[in-house]
Amino acid sequence: MFLAALTYTDDRGVSLDAALVHRLLQRDVNAFEQLYDRHSRIVYALVLRILQQAGTAEEVVQDIFLQLWRNAQRYDESRGPFVPWLLTLARNRALDTLRLKSERQRRREEQTEELPPVVSAPEFEKSLDLKRRAERVRELMTSLQPQQKRAIELAYFEGMSHTEIAAALKEPLGTVKSWIRNGLLRLKEGLQATT
Amino acid sequence: MSNADTFREMVEAYALGALDTDERVALEAHLASGCADCMKAIEEARWLVSQLAYYAPDAVPSDMLKGRLMQTVRAEAKAAPISTSSAKSTIPVWMWAGVAALLVFSIYSAWTARLLERQTREVNERAAAELRQLQQTNQELLAAKREAMILTDPASVKIALAPSGKDMPSLEAMWHSQLGLCVMGHKVPMPGSHRVLQLWLIPKAQGAKPMPSVTFWPEPDGRIAKLVMDPPEAMQEVKALAVTEEPSGGSPQPTSAPMWVGGLS
Repeated sequence: MFLAALTYTDDRGVSLDAALVHRLLQRDVNAFEQLYDRHSRIVYALVLRILQQAGTAEEVVQDIFLQLWRNAQRYDESRGPFVPWLLTLARNRALDTLRLKSERQRRREEQTEELPPVVSAPEFEKSLDLKRRAERVRELMTSLQPQQKRAIELAYFEGMSHTEIAAALKEPLGTVKSWIRNGLLRLKEGLQATT
Repeated sequence: MSNADTFREMVEAYALGALDTDERVALEAHLASGCADCMKAIEEARWLVSQLAYYAPDAVPSDMLKGRLMQTVRAEAKAAPISTSSAKSTIPVWMWAGVAALLVFSIYSAWTARLLERQTREVNERAAAELRQLQQTNQELLAAKREAMILTDPASVKIALAPSGKDMPSLEAMWHSQLGLCVMGHKVPMPGSHRVLQLWLIPKAQGAKPMPSVTFWPEPDGRIAKLVMDPPEAMQEVKALAVTEEPSGGSPQPTSAPMWVGGLS
């Protein structure tokens, strides 16, 4: 279970991750190995969920961690915690790979950024244990209506737009927009209430 | 509902990448006008969206992946440190001019300075992303050139890999002692779920174990063109090549019977 790897509290984990990334600038191989051991499982799980093919997923994960090793200076601790930054990077790279095989190429080319932009963690982020948060995300997603959950999955894991999701689910566009926004707000409230 | 409220309702979908083009363009124009509330809301929404990663089913990468990564990282750590100046110097001049213009403008307003700082950072990141794309393209070009040299150099040795099944296509390899090894094939069936094809070098030495080499998948049309720049054994020490089907990530020793075998004459 990858949750077992997320045993640090955020305060400790965030600062430890930032320190490890800083050590990469000195070409510290041990720091790289620690970062890989701490986060490769969730990164791989995310990329595999998007690409659905283990071999391609491993190639993308390898690319992500090599990019981290070679361009560690691109992570700026002042702009937000490391893990959401890494997960955003991983999702973008996986969707880029998926995009090459899909007709959604043009839309995502306009939209996807190679490196993740600013991520501001809310106050409750600091007091929320990573393991509990991961469990809570699953609980909250499972509690959504099946179609609402499916709409969010199509957007996050398959990179679909509102219109594409409405077509895929054969539901009105406005309904899909409401499902996604309300679902995300419920997720946010649920995570906040966990603290 | 005010215009700002309308945009505020879009930020979660924007962070998710789900907005259609017209709405995304409108929201980005609104952000460019300096709406601090929406900017902050988007930054928080990006964090929220990142949490959806924890909804992905648990999965474990292979040990081979870590092995490959650590091998690369250790080799690069031993080499000279990467200079960041070369990366910066390749950013187009016009982009730096844009950054400079933004910085000058920031003097007039502390708030504008904050906004411009963010935009500057994003411009630099985009430039760096373009640079990485260029480097990747160059690497692919170099690999293609090397493949072409291997295929055309008279010093390359041609190795026919016969299939074990009568309905399977043959593979062919070309091995150049300095340039590397290239494995090719057409209409090759895709390995099973969570399986991969793996190349093995069979040493001449009595009792020596097969040397593991690259793992690969056919293209969707069944084509294979796999370059091995640094085979794990010298050509004169190898008596045959073999390809097996292995678990995803590859194996240190073959776990199935060879699907293709070819001897070096």
